[in-house]
Formats: sequence, structure tokens, C-alpha cells
Amino acid sequence: MANQDFSQNEKPEANYWRSFEELYADQKTLEAKKHEFLEGVTNDFNIEKNLSGLSRRKFIALLSASAALAGAGCSDYRDKGEVIPYNVKPEEVIPGKPNYYASTCNGCAQNCGIVIKTREGRPIKIDGNTDHPINKGKICAKGEASILNLYDPSRLQFPLIKQGGIFEKASWGSIDSQIKNSLDSASGSEIAVVTHRFNSPTTKKMFEEFQIKYPSAKIYAYDVYHNEIKNSAWKKCYGGDVFPLIKWDEANIILSLEGDFLGVEGNVVEQMRLFSDRKNVNDVKSFNRLYVAEGNMSLTGMNADYRFRLRPDNQLAFVLSLLNELITKKNISSPAVDANIKNIIPSFSLKEFASQNGIEYKKLSHLVDDLAANRGSAIVYGGRALNEQTQIAVNLLNEVLGNTKTYRPDAVDISKSVYSSNEELKNLVSSMNSGKVKAVIHFDTNPVYHLPQDLQYEKALGKVPMVITLSESENETAYASNYVLPISHTLESWGDYNVRTGVYSLQQPVISPIYNTRQKEAILLNLISDNPQNYSEKLYLDYLKKSWQENIFPKLSSPFTFEKFWIGALHDGVITTKEEAPQSPRSGVSKFPSLWEELGMGLISHKKVAGFTVMITESYRLGDGRYANNGWLQELPHPVSKVTWDNYAAISERSAKVLGVKNNDLVEIKVGNKKVSIPVILQPGVADNFISVETGFGRKNSGVVAQEAGVNVQPFYALSENSNSPWMVTNASVSKVSGSYKVISTQDHQNFDDALTKNAHLKRDIIQEGTVLQYLKDPDFLHKNKEHHLPNMYDDFAYNDVKWGMSIDLNRCLGCGNCIAACNVENNIPVVGKDQVEKGREMMWLRIDRYYSGTPEEPKPAVQPMLCQHCDQAPCENVCPVAATQHSPDGLNQMVYNRCVGTRYCSNNCPFKVRRFNFYNFRDHFANGYYLQDSVSLMHNPEVTVRSRGVMEKCSFCIQRIMEAREEAIRVNQPLKGSDVRTACQNSCGTEAIKFGNIKDPKEEFYQYRNHKLGYYVLEELNVKPNVTYLAKLRNTHSEEV
Amino acid sequence: MSKQFLDYLLRVRLPLVLFVVAASFSITYFVSRAERDGVGYSPAQPIIFSHLLHAGTMKIDCQYCHTGVESSRHAVIPAASTCMNCHSVARKDRPEIIKLTKFYKEGTPIPWKRIHKVPDYAYFNHSVHINKGIQCVSCHGDIAQMEVVGQMNSFVMSACLDCHRNAQAKLPYLKQVKNGPDNCWACHR
Repeated sequence: MANQDFSQNEKPEANYWRSFEELYADQKTLEAKKHEFLEGVTNDFNIEKNLSGLSRRKFIALLSASAALAGAGCSDYRDKGEVIPYNVKPEEVIPGKPNYYASTCNGCAQNCGIVIKTREGRPIKIDGNTDHPINKGKICAKGEASILNLYDPSRLQFPLIKQGGIFEKASWGSIDSQIKNSLDSASGSEIAVVTHRFNSPTTKKMFEEFQIKYPSAKIYAYDVYHNEIKNSAWKKCYGGDVFPLIKWDEANIILSLEGDFLGVEGNVVEQMRLFSDRKNVNDVKSFNRLYVAEGNMSLTGMNADYRFRLRPDNQLAFVLSLLNELITKKNISSPAVDANIKNIIPSFSLKEFASQNGIEYKKLSHLVDDLAANRGSAIVYGGRALNEQTQIAVNLLNEVLGNTKTYRPDAVDISKSVYSSNEELKNLVSSMNSGKVKAVIHFDTNPVYHLPQDLQYEKALGKVPMVITLSESENETAYASNYVLPISHTLESWGDYNVRTGVYSLQQPVISPIYNTRQKEAILLNLISDNPQNYSEKLYLDYLKKSWQENIFPKLSSPFTFEKFWIGALHDGVITTKEEAPQSPRSGVSKFPSLWEELGMGLISHKKVAGFTVMITESYRLGDGRYANNGWLQELPHPVSKVTWDNYAAISERSAKVLGVKNNDLVEIKVGNKKVSIPVILQPGVADNFISVETGFGRKNSGVVAQEAGVNVQPFYALSENSNSPWMVTNASVSKVSGSYKVISTQDHQNFDDALTKNAHLKRDIIQEGTVLQYLKDPDFLHKNKEHHLPNMYDDFAYNDVKWGMSIDLNRCLGCGNCIAACNVENNIPVVGKDQVEKGREMMWLRIDRYYSGTPEEPKPAVQPMLCQHCDQAPCENVCPVAATQHSPDGLNQMVYNRCVGTRYCSNNCPFKVRRFNFYNFRDHFANGYYLQDSVSLMHNPEVTVRSRGVMEKCSFCIQRIMEAREEAIRVNQPLKGSDVRTACQNSCGTEAIKFGNIKDPKEEFYQYRNHKLGYYVLEELNVKPNVTYLAKLRNTHSEEV
Repeated sequence: MSKQFLDYLLRVRLPLVLFVVAASFSITYFVSRAERDGVGYSPAQPIIFSHLLHAGTMKIDCQYCHTGVESSRHAVIPAASTCMNCHSVARKDRPEIIKLTKFYKEGTPIPWKRIHKVPDYAYFNHSVHINKGIQCVSCHGDIAQMEVVGQMNSFVMSACLDCHRNAQAKLPYLKQVKNGPDNCWACHR
């Protein structure tokens, strides 16, 4: 009967696939799918192997001996231990109630406002600060998971001095005096301080005072990923300092050229929000349209309405062809275009470009029409990795189209530091080599890993008498230092940030330093103080307050005293002042012609680029590598490929054929004298002869978790000569080398279909989508000709009060994975390790399924967060032999750990494959109990059971939050409303794709999403009545067909 | 073995032995039930604090010291500083108060012996019960009459459900009371 059902819905043109193995019907994969668990999932439960050496007789002997011992020890079996109250209870602490503190995240240069939840003085969760004007209550996955860094057992716990090549424990006092003596005797020879970009006005002041005290001190700033090329192109075009911010929410048409603005570039949290503001399903007509031209499939590319596969080195020709099409053919005139430019561009024909790059011309002409029709309300965004010429051409394109209106005039990004130029860095290294540098202070940086290999930085460090590294945990640079000073985590430190015009945020410690650490600013401040031996924890706080009192407080003309203002500012975490943004001068319009000449734009031709181009990109999860020792982030699946624990060379299917490689085969990438061997993953939608690799992996000496995760491709990071991109190398030689390395991805887990039900995703309507035009023509298109509903064997439950439900808007969902990170933290999800993910034992309660449709060259990805659907007629409930999973009167599917005996029947019977089984006590099993150490247990959410081996678990709709809201409702004697509860995933979703509430309350906002015309249930024909509604994705294309 | 002896063993001895074993097991099981559940457990405390005096004679309200119980999961054992609110003045010369003052001055928390304990997998919440108007004595017994506090009621799941399912009968002083939730996630999660 079931088969008949599917054939009714047969859509022969449908072609959904998750991997190449599936697309080409690889026998092994198809066979594997027939099984509930992956092959080998129970292999290491071989009793003989695990219990070897322990005979039955011996076991019983031990058992009785321990029983006797326990009996003898049971003198006071009623003893329940002690309850220890506070000696003096802090006024704000009520045991059992969380406290929230506003602060600022220092995980990257965006410095989002955060709110930290603490229980009995222990930080347990980080959320966005809703009062913060930029990130508005949202943070990224790295920010969510960064709480693990605070409790990371491999944090440095005391200062270290290298003596005779061995690090020895030292006291702060002796270190302070040794360093100070050495710096005092520097007299003229350089003291180099190497820092990342910083946005703190007070840190800047501190550095200035440091330089006054030590005039030979120089501050160097670097970041692996930055916007310097964009900024310098902007400066050349318009003057001013930095590329302006963009009103993403006002752009009808967005063309992103190799720009991952939803993934890693710029303030992603803000950009996600603004982008998705135009994906409101209640106003489908206002949907924006995203065109992306890129080499590798990025998170932004995944969400494109039209995506062009294009090598980054062909982007300039693309922009020029677009200019030609718009200026010459569409007759758009602009003062920025003079006769000279007009003469040059006709040699760039879009048609020719399309055929050379294998792009469908029809799609490009849609783009040209859209750009021409939406002048002034569109934006062309050039990714930060494009070279300066391309950036200038993009600026010109926006100028011609009048898209300068889409730039924000009111605020700009501010940095308090200036990046060191290549020359400055080279000079530093040469003075280090010539012995002119007395001391190098690494201010929470890791240049040995980060800086381009050509600089030979590590070698030069050997010539410096005093190398001081300030770091939270061990890393490559710390190993090359004489002094390693442990610094406090963000949540243990004071600070202030000014990332944008008029926005000042404060950072406050929410826990006193767990170890013998100091915050990094205080270490330098202490060195320049009169008596470093008098260090106090308040040193930097006093400095910060004084700085605010003198510099920021006067700007506000506040009616309060400073002390009152300070308490208020700490409470809010952020203050805004009415500062004018430095006006980006628009006078540069006439500069374009001369720039054109200067850059020799006329000389560029449609040359066919030969050889492989290799691009390194920032890791979605590890940033520039600073989160490599964070197990949650290592295990978070890559948003596109779903690979965990590794980086890989993403390569197109055609290039792989040419090279003769398959998934997991090693290739050697060779550029000049740099060689890296790295496993290959065939990624649909990658340009041919192009390889994209994430950096941040392959760390050495950086902790247990980072060890052996991925390959270090940092050597391909180059000094950017002649305004070329430092992240791109052309003419790389790539060849297959022997051997392979298994890269693990979660994407083929949880398959339930077999060869008989190929394409079941579509036939069984797991993914449903349409187009905007289709929806406008017929809003009911989704539910036409659908006959579902098997008969029900059971009576319906009576739901008297609230009934919980969730809706997930697939138009807004980008697939970034922030929700997974938030869920991990909230629900005490363990890290299982690569070997366990390989067996399909990852424990994340929420996963994001990614499907492709179309061809490997032009794939159309679709993403779908998948979690427990809390079915009204849940198949899992019926099969549990011990009634450990039951239905609640508020519509939840309850999982009771202390009743579960681990039969796994429920998981077997779950059509959505969302249940997770604890094959081990994973905290114990992962890396020899790495996450079982005391410091980590401080992090656990005390409202959620830490599950042990042998029990099943799954999404609980954050029952602890529901109960908290219920308790509060009882306290204030009000009925519980659906909007009182926000689940962790919902809170973290940067695009508000997840809504949660009471299904039965028509007055709530949630109700309209639950009952939206685009809403559907996954596997609706099973009639399990899920409480999770998905809103079908509408692609904003020019046709009614998907 | 003679048939007669075997007959005796099977007919008389065996049933007798079985009866004695079963009877003593069931008697022990039921008689020791309360003790096994912790009922009657009243350990000696580091400071001989009398609830009879404070809550009984002096009629100090429970929540005067156990603050936070109306909003938190925990009933909150008062901090030493709470005691010192009065005892920095009152009865300073008594030996137990001298002990208390010593704890307070040294900054060491008082290691009170724990009497009531629900298992780790049950997330009991005091505040909802207090806010529904349920009196402390309904579960904890008449604390005001206890010189030394001990456990009065069993704290096993059936004891919870007994009340959750028969609230009207168990809490006659609450006219409007409805039965409590009896689904798993009300307590276990």
C-alpha cells in the first residue's frame, strides 16, 4: 500500500540527492541505507574483546568481594551528605535561580553584545544581547560554543618560563620583575607588540601609555582575514577610510561575487538578520533575490536564487562584462564613466563570457535585467578575497547603477588598530634577525601559525632574547617563547569596545579567574605601573573606569553622576552616543577614469586562466584557528559539506575525474616551494580547476582536541603583493598522491530510504519547495493533489491546556548551524569524537539536513533543520517496552532517562531518525575522559540531566525552559502563554526562522506560522501528526517551475 | 535416604522453611520501609538549632529565614549571615551561638547535615508548591514542634503522586486546589 502511495506522487523529473554515491547509485551506499545503523556500529561491543581476561569465576569473586566491602562500609547508610549554604549570601544570588549579565563577546573582531547566564556564579550559557544595536540578541555558533573555552581543561593555569628548553612553573611576581628589568634595559632596541585587530578605546590608550613608557615599543597588528583590499580600493575610489556598511534589507537584488556575507565576511550576525528581513513569508512580494557567482559552494551560495559557478580569477572579466552590458546595451550613463572606459568595455561581451565559463546566458540576462530595473535598490558585493582591480570595478558598477544609495551613511565600522603593512612586517622580521629587537610580546596572537611562511617568523623569533606570549591555551607561538603568560577568558575580563560609530559596549567578568591568570591588558598595564609587585585584580577595572569617565562619559551629557551612569552602562552592556559618522565622500565619482588608466584595466583581456587556483577560506567553525581546541565546534558539521573534525580540498567532479581522485583520496597541492597533502571531497557546484580549503586546522601543540584535526593549509596564506589577494594562489600544481585519509561527514547518516524509494525526499515530500511566482499565482499549490492520512489506530490525545509546537521557515533558514551550537550548550550534549561520528553516533539533538537537486555542476541546495517532531501519534512511544518515552498532556513526546534501558526500539521506529543513543559515557570515552574533568562539569546546565551510557535521548523542546516559564506563571498567578517560552535554538537563530509557541492560541504570532499556507509536515502521509511545521522554501526565480 | 525422611523433608521441612523465609522477608520489607525511605532520619547537626524554639515558641515564619523558596527550586538553607542578623545581638553568650559566630567570623560555611533529598533525576521545585498555597508542613511535618528536625514523610515517587493525584483529599485546607501534573517531564528531564 505504501508503495502505491509513492507512485501516485511520482514526479519523474525529480532528482534529489545528497552525495555522489547516491546520485550514481553506488551499491555499497544503497546497501548501507537499508540498515538502521551504520555498519560496524556495534562492532566494539564484542564481549570477548572488551572483557578479556576476566573469567566468570573471577567476576563473581570480585562481585562478592565488593559487596562484602560495601556492606562493611555501610555503617551509616542513611547519611545523605551535607547541605552547605553560603557563609554570607551575595545579595543577587538565589540558589537555583539564574542571573544574567550583559557583556561583550571577544571571539572575533565583531564584538557582539552578549548576555551571560550564570547559575550560582558559574557561567552556563551565552546569548546575544537584545539591547545591542548591531547584533540585536543574536550571536554566531562560535560565540555560543565559546563557553567551552572558559572551562577547557587544557587552558594554561599558571605562568611558565622556559629554562633549558623546558617550560617550568613560575610565579607572577618573578616573571613581572624579570620582564620589567629586561624591558627597562631595552634602551633604544625595539620592543615589538604583536596583536590582532582591536576595537577597544581603552586598550588603545593602554598601548599608547605603554609606548610612552617604552618609546622603542612598536605595535604591530595583523589578522589572517580582513577587509583591507576592499578598504584600499574604496579609498582609491572615494577617499575615506573604510568600505561603508550596506543596507542589506533595502536591496531588492543582491549580487555577491565570491562574497560569503552570510557565512564569514563582516558582521555575519547583522547581515543574516538584515538579509532575512526580506524573506518574510507574510509578504512574499517583497522577497529579495540573491545572485551569487563563486568558486566554491559557500553558505551564501547555498541560499542563492541563482548561482553561477565561477573561478574567482574570472570575476573581473565578469564585472566588466556586466558593465559593458549595462552601459553599452542598456544605455545607462553615469558621470563615473568617460569615453575611455566606454571604449574599453565593449571588448567584454557577456555572451562570450557566458559561453567561455559554461554559464547559461539566460540566467545572466535575468541578472542584467534585474540590475537595470532595480537601480538604486540593489547591491553588488565583491567578496573580500577579490583583488583590488575587481573591487574597483565593483565600486564602479555600483556607482553606475546608483546603488550607492544602498550604502549606509549613518555609521561605519571602526577599528582602533591599524593593520601593519607587508613592509612593516618584513622590517620587523629583519630587525629580529639582525638582533635589533629586544623583546617580542604576543598579545593573544599566534603569529607562528598565522603569518605567511615566507616571512620565516618562527626562525626570526629564535634571535630575539625575550619572547613573551600572552595566551589562554598552549599554541605554536607559545612553544617558541621564553615566557608564556596565561590570560583570562573573555568571561573573566573587563573591557570596552567601539566597533561602530556611536556604539560603545562594555565587557564585564561574570566569574573570578578560575586559574592563576590575569587579563591581557592588565599584564601590560602592570608592567608600566610604578610597582608591578602591587598587582591587584582591580587594576584594569580602575583604568577602564577612569578612561570612560574622561573620554566617553562627557560625550553623553548625562544627567547622572559617573558612578550611576557606570552601573547603568554595565547593566545594559552597551551605550549609544550621538556621533556623526565620518561622511564617506562621494566626490570620487570622477576618479574612476583615472583609476582605470592607473590599474591598466584596458590591458585585461579574456585570457583563459590555466592551472589550478587554490583559495583558502576562513573556517565557519574554527575562525582563523583560535577555536581549534573546542570540541563542540570541531564536531559541528560544516554547513555545506557536513564534514566534521577535518578540513578538505573541495573540488568539482570534473576536476576530480581529470586528476583521477575520489572522495578521501589525497592530493598534493604545490605552489612554489610549498607543498601540502590534503584529502579531497567532491563538492557539487565547485568551479573546475579550482580548489577551496578552510584554514584553522592542522594545529600543532594546541591541545588534545585540536590535535590531528585536519591539515594545516596556512602556508598558502601569502603576503599580498601588488594588491593581489593573499588568500588565492594561481597556477598551483595539483596531483594525486598515494594513500587516502577518511574525512567524516554526517550527511549520509540517518538515511532511511532504500533503492526502492529512490528520490523519496521529494516523493514523500520531505523537502517541499516552490517559487515566488508559483505561490503568488496559487497560494495553495503545496496542498493540491495530496492524499495522505493513513487510518489511525489510536485515539487522539486530549490536550486541555497549552500544546507546544514549532514552525521552521525554510525561506529564512540559511543552514548556518548556530541553532545546533546553542542546543549543544543548553542541553549538555557531549562531544563524541571523529571515530564515533564515523559510526553515526553523533549526539546532536538538532541536525541540519542538506539536499541537492539538479546536476553536480548546477546544484540547487535545500536545507532543513531536523529535530524531534514531537508527534501526536508518535511511533516511538508505542514500541518502548519499559514506557520510557511517553506523551505529555501539553503535546510533548517525553523521554525519561532514568527509565530507559537502552533497547533502541524507539530509534528504530522513528521515521525522522532524530533519536540519539549513548553508546558510551561519551564524556569519559572521548580522548580519555578529557571532558570528564572537573572544570568541564562546572559548565553543565544544572536543569538538564547529564546522560550516561546506555540511554536514549532526543530533543525535548527545551523542557527545562518550559518548566521555568510554567513556574514563573504560577508565581505571578497568570496563565502560561506560548510566547513565554523561547527554546535555545529559537533564541540563537539569526534569521528568526524558528518560531515556538502554543498551537491552540490563535492570538499568538506563532499561530499564523503554524497554519500558514506554505506549512507542511515532513512525512505527512504517515499521519504521525508532528508538532513541527515546515514552511516550504520559495525560490525567487523568474519562472514558476522550481 | 529413606523415603520416610524425604517425605518429611518435602512435606514439612520445606514448606516451613519457605514460610519462615517469606514471612520474615515481607515483615522486614514492610517494617523497614519507612526507615529505608529515610523517614525518621534526624541526624545531629553541627549547631544544635531548635526549630521548636524559633518556629514554634517564637512563631517566626519559615520564609523569614528560608528566603527564595517562593521563587526558586530550592528551599535555601539560610546563610550564616542570615542567622547573624539577630544573633550578632541576641544571646551572644550561649555556647551554640559562640559556635555560630565562629563559623561566621572565619568565613567557613556551616556543614549542615542533609535530611531531605530527592534523587538527582527528579527536578523538584519548591516555588510552585509554595505559590499554590501548599504549606511546608504538608510535606515536612510539623517542623515547629521539632527540637531536632527529622524526615517525616517518604520522599519516593509514589508519595509525590499520591498527592498529585488526590490533591483535594490530601490538602483539605486548599479549597481550589487541582491535581498536580503526573506526566514524566513534570519532574524528570
